[in-house]
Amino acid sequence: MAQSNVLCGVLLEEETLTIEELARACAVAPQWVVERVEAGVLGQVSIAAGEMRFASAHLVRARRLAFAERGFECNPEVAALVADLIEEVEQLRRELRAARSAAGRFGQ
Amino acid sequence: MEFKDYYQILGVEKKAEADDIKKAYRKLARKFHPDVSKEPDAAKRMSEVNEAYAVLSDPEKRVAYDTLGERRAAGQEFHPPPGWDAGFEFSDTDFGDIDGYSEFFSSLFGRAGRSAHAGRSRAEAKMRGGDHHAKIMIDLADAYHGATRSVSLRGAHLDESGRVVTQDRVLDVQIPKGVKEGQSIRLRGQGGAGFGGGPAGDLYLELHFAPDSRYRVDGRDVTQSVPVAPWEAALGAKIEVPTPSGRVEVNVPAGSKNGRRLRLKGRGIPGDPPGDLYLELELALPPADSDKARKLYETMAREMPFNPREQMGA
Repeated sequence: MAQSNVLCGVLLEEETLTIEELARACAVAPQWVVERVEAGVLGQVSIAAGEMRFASAHLVRARRLAFAERGFECNPEVAALVADLIEEVEQLRRELRAARSAAGRFGQ
Repeated sequence: MEFKDYYQILGVEKKAEADDIKKAYRKLARKFHPDVSKEPDAAKRMSEVNEAYAVLSDPEKRVAYDTLGERRAAGQEFHPPPGWDAGFEFSDTDFGDIDGYSEFFSSLFGRAGRSAHAGRSRAEAKMRGGDHHAKIMIDLADAYHGATRSVSLRGAHLDESGRVVTQDRVLDVQIPKGVKEGQSIRLRGQGGAGFGGGPAGDLYLELHFAPDSRYRVDGRDVTQSVPVAPWEAALGAKIEVPTPSGRVEVNVPAGSKNGRRLRLKGRGIPGDPPGDLYLELELALPPADSDKARKLYETMAREMPFNPREQMGA
């Protein structure tokens, strides 16, 4: 395939999302994002030129929060607890995989 | 196009109460949510469940669907009759990203269906396409060197005349050097198509490293296991190690124990600053599978006073 057909995206981090962009990516209203930031459930948010900016981790977390709130009609704090637990499970699964592969190398 | 039985997808009776539908949805959402599910086709199932719930949880759409679905069976070939939705009034609620839903859903409840009844101003309104999300797996080496990866995506969108078009597409995407686990790439204009001349949405690709038993990744830092012979660990040695950034020569200090970590500064995932590479020594025992090997082990047992269980009080 010709080189010109290769899509070059932008890494979130090098470029960050505005409130409106994050809201659109999560199919929520911008006010929803503002409220989650104020409630402290979206994590630390950076400010550039007086505006909040969001990166990859915010996008993943915001989508999880939105899913939990929509699907289970739970309040933002419960959704945040769900997101915390999912992140914890992911971390433990990574560690479990690493431990299992180490055990496999030792022939245990 | 096949008829979809949304009741069957949610596992509820056709006469189910709204509360039962909600309960069934929540149960399935817990089971198939890709973040927690261990089912291999969790993402696909979750999408079906979301679609079914979007219809059955909305009284207006449910009535319309029920009327249309009388005497239909799941999987049966189906084409909505022209003007099927005349007489039904749909609220102008946000369906979210219809492009993630099936052709069946889009043909019944998509924007084209609504705009047909909404008068000129709505039909001519420009609407931006929905943002899409997909996860892709890459190798750790891709983060070190950059790569081009093909991504297969399937979706449905509305063309300029409002018809539903399902589309399989393969995108060749540049994976930039220095990406981290879980980071997203934004591809502008590669999401759902816009409507009425509106711009297309964006596509967000969430990057994950394919599991590799040789490496553990934490941010830009990488830990790699390196097997060493007992004499290399005990006496010290210069060993050659293939790493994601190429072969390196490393000095193993004399007296190294199993699990010792050697830090190679700046040889983790590239970036500003780059991560570090940690080589974790793993003692590999040579097998006693020959007379000579057995004799060497016997000599060591005899000549070297060593109790590996000393700390256990043995």
